[in-house]
Amino acid sequence: MASVAELKSAIEAAVQQISDGQSAVKAAGEKLGEAQQTLAGALEGSGHEAVTAAHAALSQAAQELDDCLTATLAAIEQARQYSSTL
Amino acid sequence: MSIIEDLAAQLRATSDELPVDLVTRALEQLRTATERLGRVRQASVNPLAVPELSAATEHAHLAGHALQVAQDHLAAYLSAIGLPAGAAGDTARPSTVVTRRHQGKEPARRAAPDAATAPRWWSARVAVLTGSKDRPSDGAARPATDPEELLRRVSNRAGAGDRERLHAELRGVDAEVGLGLAAVAGPALRRLAGQLLGHPPRVPDLHRLRSEVSGPVRDLLPGLPPAVLDTLLSRVCRTPPPSQPHPAHPADQAVAAGVVTGLLLNRLGGNRSNSRDNHG
Repeated sequence: MASVAELKSAIEAAVQQISDGQSAVKAAGEKLGEAQQTLAGALEGSGHEAVTAAHAALSQAAQELDDCLTATLAAIEQARQYSSTL
Repeated sequence: MSIIEDLAAQLRATSDELPVDLVTRALEQLRTATERLGRVRQASVNPLAVPELSAATEHAHLAGHALQVAQDHLAAYLSAIGLPAGAAGDTARPSTVVTRRHQGKEPARRAAPDAATAPRWWSARVAVLTGSKDRPSDGAARPATDPEELLRRVSNRAGAGDRERLHAELRGVDAEVGLGLAAVAGPALRRLAGQLLGHPPRVPDLHRLRSEVSGPVRDLLPGLPPAVLDTLLSRVCRTPPPSQPHPAHPADQAVAAGVVTGLLLNRLGGNRSNSRDNHG
């Protein structure tokens, strides 16, 4: 039969997994920022449609990563809040 | 090396170094966490962060997709200026975020739930949403054992406007599988809405999307609080959902996402084909 301690431990394991996911998202955001800077320098002056579209896609990726991080913060808060009520 | 060759090498290197692998890793970790929390909370009505994790997973999925789109545009640019795409956007790209979900990285399928032990709260809520009587599964159809399979079934029933069979598909599944609908339907919803509109869904498209689906959603899910559909469509259009005085039941958003996916697929004429690819 499961105990509260086991339940809390299972939640903490999930929280740890979310934290690992957060680390990957943060690292992805940093690498993406560097790539955006490199491309901005290399492609400065280009008005090519594909370049504009690439910049837009990278901006969208950055926004999605930010939103992802925000959602994971909320998830961790919810999980810990629930755990504290057990 | 000429200046243009130097530029091409720089673009290829930058494209190759875009963090698709990191996003894929984050996705896998978030999915594992969702499964773990799903197992913990299966018998509880408390959503226990699963909706937030579903949203995080969807954003990570969309980020990965956007990175791949950027790689494709960079490859197109190189091609347009007379240079072979080479590594940028070529077919040797690592397994993509989009396809990896279907290439052996999926969690093991769960055993089909015993109808008698399926969580009572899930089937009770499904009955409320579909305006049906809460009764045990008649065992005529084996319940779906993973969210993607459930999404295919739900979208087929919703597209056909068959409320009774929609209820039958939903009522017997594990709550974890049912709640997983929200995560697997999210990316499909945005893409399908984009196909319908002819451009990525934006805030001004909310009214049109609502008018496309609200009637059929009311017919199929007469017990769904209207605010749930507003929240779902707001997320599709990337705008903050209207604030609600009470949190929605965790089953509502998941079921609504599955149904709206089916309605959009049907509207686009895609429900007759194998819809698995359409959900990636």
